[in-house]
Amino acid sequence: MNKWICVICGFIYDEAQGLPEHGIAAGTAFNDLAEDWTCPECGSPKSAFEPYSE
Amino acid sequence: MTTAANRVEIDSRVFNPYSKDFIRTPDPTWQTLIRDYPVAWHKELGMWIVSSHELCDKILKDNRFTPNFRAWEHAPPPKAEADKNDFDLAFEKGFFAVSTKDHLRLRKLTMPAFSKPVMGKIDAKIRDLVAECFDAIGDAGEFDVYSALANKIPVRSIARMVGVPTNMEEYFHEFAVSVIKSTRINLGPKERDEAMKATLPGFAFFRKLISERRAVSHPGDDFLGNLVGATENGESLDDYEILSVIFALITAGSDTATDLHTFLIHGLLGNRDQYELLKQKPELMENAIIELLRYGSFGKMPFFRFATDDIEFGGQLIKKGQGIGVNIQAAWHDPAKWENPTKLDITRRLDGNIVFGAGAHFCIGTYLVRVQGALMLTEFMKRFPNAELANGDGNIDYEWTHHNARRINRLMVKTNRQAGQKAA
Repeated sequence: MNKWICVICGFIYDEAQGLPEHGIAAGTAFNDLAEDWTCPECGSPKSAFEPYSE
Repeated sequence: MTTAANRVEIDSRVFNPYSKDFIRTPDPTWQTLIRDYPVAWHKELGMWIVSSHELCDKILKDNRFTPNFRAWEHAPPPKAEADKNDFDLAFEKGFFAVSTKDHLRLRKLTMPAFSKPVMGKIDAKIRDLVAECFDAIGDAGEFDVYSALANKIPVRSIARMVGVPTNMEEYFHEFAVSVIKSTRINLGPKERDEAMKATLPGFAFFRKLISERRAVSHPGDDFLGNLVGATENGESLDDYEILSVIFALITAGSDTATDLHTFLIHGLLGNRDQYELLKQKPELMENAIIELLRYGSFGKMPFFRFATDDIEFGGQLIKKGQGIGVNIQAAWHDPAKWENPTKLDITRRLDGNIVFGAGAHFCIGTYLVRVQGALMLTEFMKRFPNAELANGDGNIDYEWTHHNARRINRLMVKTNRQAGQKAA
């Protein structure tokens, strides 16, 4: 399970947690998110995300 | 068919951002704009005004509308290469002017200095200076939030982050205001040009700082050092790119954040139940800050965008080069998005809010604002748990001629410190 960060706003998508409040189950890989999925914080497209490690 | 001939037009009788009535009580104007004129050409301002939440959100995410002032039909003509000064060169390399691809690269390179994971570091860097501002208030029975906090914390925080000596903070506040005024399309060309010229000593100061950092083997672990040392696929930032980032940080984080502090306190003390709730549940802090910004909606002039082509938008034809005022302050009070928009509710679900904008130019300083606001409010609640607005309205006054914001420049707070201590 990886984490991804939106380079526009810094929002972090954690695959292990998903986004249950947005209908995305825990364990959903970033690559499996819909192509038109957008950052819940700033609305940027998937292309604005990159892998993130702490 | 949408044509320029049947465009919806308004004038200052509908929206006059400079009127005292609007500055004091903007909501009725916003509601009229949202309901009757969600997109309209403002004949006196000479720009489109977009006001509903749906359309503001849409336009901010549409890259055909650029924030690049040079795309404006009335922008000054391009200068010859040899005539460009530091302002021109930094602007050309900046977030608002570069291509979508270069913009993403700039954001990637600067993310380490601004993103959520570095909130703790920002907190550690500015915590003491927030406490110092409160120490200076001491045991006063009353104090002015504007002069004691709002006029000090933002500019000192930015100066600390960027590495400006303490005795030059005021100078850089002025620099920030001049940078903003240099491209404001609601100002005249003479005022813009004078403001641009006033920025040049500030740019020279930072160029010298950058050059000093480049001359040493390790540029440092602070904000400037991070920018000088930042690399992405072997590429690093050149001097003007770094200047453009400093330019963005100073402009977004100093003058604009001044209003953050006054409106946070005004909103909370004007809604006692919410102040009590936040004291009981400090875990609501981040949500509370965003909701307070939405509720207070301190902007006066909209954000600007410029059409890069003839574009049909919201039933209107926006011509290439025309300016658009994206009236997000109105959108924050759009009843189609927000139930009871004039009610402050710090528990409100804020999904899809555009308080920090949206899309590619989402506010780069969003976490800096959240940290700064949270530190200030936490300290305020700790020291003045029983505070209230003096005489009911804080003897509120505004800087009526401020170029950008409904700037509160007096907000008196009665601390009730003695009463609180006795009660405890």
